[in-house]
Amino acid sequence: MNTIVTDVLIIGAGLAGERTAIEAANQGLDVIILSLVPPRRSHSTAAQGGMQAALGNCAMGRGDNPSIHFEDTVKGSDWGCDQDVARLFCETAPTAVRQMAYWGVPWNRVAAGRKRLPGGQEIYELKEYEGLITARNFGGTAKWRACYTADGTGHTIQYTLDSIVIKLGIKVHDRMEALRLIHNGDKCMGVVARCLRTGKLYTYISKSTVLATGGCGRLYGASTNAVINEGSGMFLALETELVPLGNMEAIQFHPTGLVPVWILITEGARGDGGYLLDKNHHRFMPDYEPKKKELASRDVVARRMIMHMRKGYGVESPYGPHLWLDIRHLGEKHINTNLREIANICRNFAGIDPVNELIPVRPTQHYSMGGVRTNINGAVYGIKGLFACGEAACWDLHGFNRLGGNSLAETIVSGMIVGKKAAEYTLGTELTYSYQQVNNHYNIVRQKIKNIIGGKLNKKRHENVFELKNIMEDVLMKHVGIFRNGKDLLKAVNALQELYHRSRNISLRSSGTGASPELGLALRLPGMIKLALCVAYGALKRTESRGSHYREDYPRRDDKNWLKRTLAYWPEEKDLPCLKYEPVKITEIPPGDRGYGESPGKGGTS
Amino acid sequence: MQFQRIVTGKIKSDLYYDLIELFSGLFLAGFLGMHLIFESSIIAGKKVFNNLSQTLDENYLALAGISLVVVVFFIHFLTAGRRIPTRCKEQKIIWHHTGRLRHLNTWAWVLQIITGIIILILGSIHMWVVVTDRPIKAETSALRIQSGYLWFYVILLLLSVVHAGIGIYRQFIKWGWFPRKPLGYVIGFISIFFILLGFTALFTFLRAGGL
Amino acid sequence: MKNRELTLNIFRYDPNIPGREPYMQPYSLQETEGMTIFIALNQIRENQDPSLKFDFVCRAAICGSCGMLVNGRPRLACKTLTRDLPEVITLMPLPVFKLIGDLSVDTGSWFRQLSIKTGAWVHSDKSFNPNCQEERMSNETALKIYEAERCIECGCCIAGCATANIRDDFLGAAGLYKIARFMVDPRDERPEEKYFDVVSSEEGVFGCLGLMACEDNCPMELPLQVQLAYVRRKMALIGFRV
Ligand SMILES: Cc1cc2nc3c(=O)[nH]c(=O)nc-3n(C[C@H](O)[C@H](O)[C@H](O)COP(=O)(O)OP(=O)(O)OC[C@H]3O[C@@H](n4cnc5c(N)ncnc54)[C@H](O)[C@@H]3O)c2cc1C
Ligand code: FES
Repeated sequence: MNTIVTDVLIIGAGLAGERTAIEAANQGLDVIILSLVPPRRSHSTAAQGGMQAALGNCAMGRGDNPSIHFEDTVKGSDWGCDQDVARLFCETAPTAVRQMAYWGVPWNRVAAGRKRLPGGQEIYELKEYEGLITARNFGGTAKWRACYTADGTGHTIQYTLDSIVIKLGIKVHDRMEALRLIHNGDKCMGVVARCLRTGKLYTYISKSTVLATGGCGRLYGASTNAVINEGSGMFLALETELVPLGNMEAIQFHPTGLVPVWILITEGARGDGGYLLDKNHHRFMPDYEPKKKELASRDVVARRMIMHMRKGYGVESPYGPHLWLDIRHLGEKHINTNLREIANICRNFAGIDPVNELIPVRPTQHYSMGGVRTNINGAVYGIKGLFACGEAACWDLHGFNRLGGNSLAETIVSGMIVGKKAAEYTLGTELTYSYQQVNNHYNIVRQKIKNIIGGKLNKKRHENVFELKNIMEDVLMKHVGIFRNGKDLLKAVNALQELYHRSRNISLRSSGTGASPELGLALRLPGMIKLALCVAYGALKRTESRGSHYREDYPRRDDKNWLKRTLAYWPEEKDLPCLKYEPVKITEIPPGDRGYGESPGKGGTS
Repeated sequence: MQFQRIVTGKIKSDLYYDLIELFSGLFLAGFLGMHLIFESSIIAGKKVFNNLSQTLDENYLALAGISLVVVVFFIHFLTAGRRIPTRCKEQKIIWHHTGRLRHLNTWAWVLQIITGIIILILGSIHMWVVVTDRPIKAETSALRIQSGYLWFYVILLLLSVVHAGIGIYRQFIKWGWFPRKPLGYVIGFISIFFILLGFTALFTFLRAGGL
Repeated sequence: MKNRELTLNIFRYDPNIPGREPYMQPYSLQETEGMTIFIALNQIRENQDPSLKFDFVCRAAICGSCGMLVNGRPRLACKTLTRDLPEVITLMPLPVFKLIGDLSVDTGSWFRQLSIKTGAWVHSDKSFNPNCQEERMSNETALKIYEAERCIECGCCIAGCATANIRDDFLGAAGLYKIARFMVDPRDERPEEKYFDVVSSEEGVFGCLGLMACEDNCPMELPLQVQLAYVRRKMALIGFRV
């Protein structure tokens, strides 16, 4: 057994993980980060759009402050978020952005002068704000608040954070996959991990462990997420049997995934004035949402698009119906500079030139609001010494719908806060563990691997891991998508349960030796199916519509019965999660109308 | 950092080498141009050629020039040559690499190494012959060319111009003095011009041979 | 478009198994509309050979994971459409980087080492004051820094570079580009001589032969020549000053 000991162990080198690591290292602690991939390849680099923080420097953001940001966030979440968390977040976000500027992020800045927006409106950037961090428009906010660096916001933040990690000498063990949390039923003491270079197993022992493993988008077949976003941190926590996952049914769909590769076309395209068109080239969003049009909150736009396609206005294609995104009127110069990344994506992955062609788009899985449930300090429910932050966590800032730009901000802000709290905890605790316990967990993993590799002889069926994964993706896409109903959800739960049983008979077709990719997936898949079940079962039980969770058979929000958060536990030997509920913390704004979304425009229904 | 690097401290020699390579190369390229132009004076007639040669000789320009060129020639070889992969393994890697990559500029560099090495030999012979056979006269030159040296000069001409052209192109690229694409065309044209000029001169010598 | 039958010749090697020799393995595959090497390789792994090693993360040409030699040239596999290639496609791992297995190479460690060697972070003695406004910066400067930070560390420039192929310590275009990023950043207070120490040697900018395989193979189409020349001129100037 190869064992490595440290103070703080961080699983995940995305923005959340690295920001946490920096905070903990600054308290003088020994920190090790594990990651599936080199930090700069983490999914966070793919975020292009922006990071929300109420700085109020640009003309369209003037007068902005954390309270307005707070209000947007709460409304956006459809009152599903914890308001004390949202308040803390909004107050901290401006500092977080400025600190990133201090560390080196080249945020775009205010350039004084008159400007004409694509819609024709004239704005005037004041001289006194010149050179301060500017912001762009993102769906669902009262002010322009998304700080950005051209089209590579996630890239620059990740590179900058990683440069600080390097500067501080924080150890990063990349291509090292955490497979199991080591715990004694009360306290978490590290993880068992598998080296993806050699296939060797390692144990990491730590005083505190932080899960920052990102989202689980790849449960779905069509997702904008990176292919490594398989939610492993979430099922690691779930498999302790002690830790609940919060609101797993809250899955966000992005309105504009590029058909058929599902690469995201960022909000920036619509923020800068892009239109959505139907098969008749009619701009339909103003019919449904006269005020916000294409820039209504994400869940609203995505639903309107599906609704419009169901009415028969979708463009037929071999990959199913889709709609058009039109940015041609923004002009070649604007497209090739400000929206360069989008233009490149269209050219490289679809062979389309957006300067004079329409872009085929369809709503696509994008973000998981749910995750490992923590308190406001990032401490995970049910076990000591375990923390979580970023997309992997349910902190709960986003409730049932995340605002565009709020998750980059969340990774940084929660990294600051959780890093500090984890450090406080670590400084106040001793490293105690028994060799026996560690060895037990290590052996469980080893046995699992043995069963998968050598189990060919004694299994009744030999299931193909790729086949099972494809079925899982299809079930979620078909039955647990944007519009949900009891009948389909029940189908999904049944299908996933069957799949879960089948996943116990996975056999490899390769030898599984060394860093076998097939073995890697075989180890993850049962956990992924558990997550899929948490999503589907949580959605089935939640008989209301809230934010991105939309039930056709229960189209209204039901604050009387459902102003609460789903907590999914997984008792071993069961094939369904056990659901519990807790109230949502409401400290400032009582539930009300979301204000901007779902206006009863002439094309709308409810 | 390793001990031996710490105690040697920072050095500027790489900068100096680079600059010497640059300036010696530019000088030689300039000389090559002048050389070809002077030589092509034969096209205007034997007299013009001999007069020019005589003028240069009388002012000791030829002597000074030739000695300088010889020195710079070898300096250039020493500085530019340090980049040539010398170990067998390296050469094999480069050969594989270039073959796979199918990249014009990388091929050009390989070509430059090869031409450089051949020029080193042919150029040395040429200089030796000229120095021992002074003063330069149209008659002796023509005689040389007719007595079988023609192919020697054809090859030397081609290699030198190609070598100089690629070298200048790469230096301009490295220092960023000119945009890449147009630079390639300009240098290509100039090279072709000099090759044609050189051929015409050689042809004239060959024809003038009857004398 | 008529769908072709593709043959992918893929380099196979596992350095962890002693005594095993590298070999090329052919796979046949039906081409589909809009197929990329990403799609093709995943199909092969799912349907033919689950032991095949390769790396993809973003599959959108953003993260830089999937550099490999496609018919001899360094490319991002995720943004290489098969329709732009002949029927027989050869895939090999990037040279220079440590081979993990098959098409997977360790670009991550190489770039990390590079960042450490070049001190690739903003060097400043100022401390951060959370109660203050950010320091001002013109938008042009911000954009200039961003332009210099667009490298995704895929390693294609390094793999294409003849010098890097034979000199282990060569910084390469990616390294010099990275240094340029900090040279244009006014927040970085490093005195110029510091840069000189790092880059003004054969390992750095004066090792560059100007072959431009870096620029010609950069998937991000970064202006590498312009930036490399900028660093070279700057280094020459500093060299005469210090
Ligand atoms: C295409 C796209 C665009 C987006 N744009 C925006 C935007 O403009 N604004 C915005 O606010 N948000 C945006 N988001 C959302 C945002 O990017 C993510 O929510 C955020 O980056 C998540 O960061 P993270 O640090 O939590 O996780 P990630 O960046 O996903 O990092 C997870 C890390 O965990 C590691 N890891 C995972 N499992 C394991 C394991 N078992 N063992 C070891 N390591 C592991 C991975 O290697 C990785 O380093 C976007 C998302 C997508 C898909
Ligand atoms: S997979 Fe990210 S660049 Fe190709």
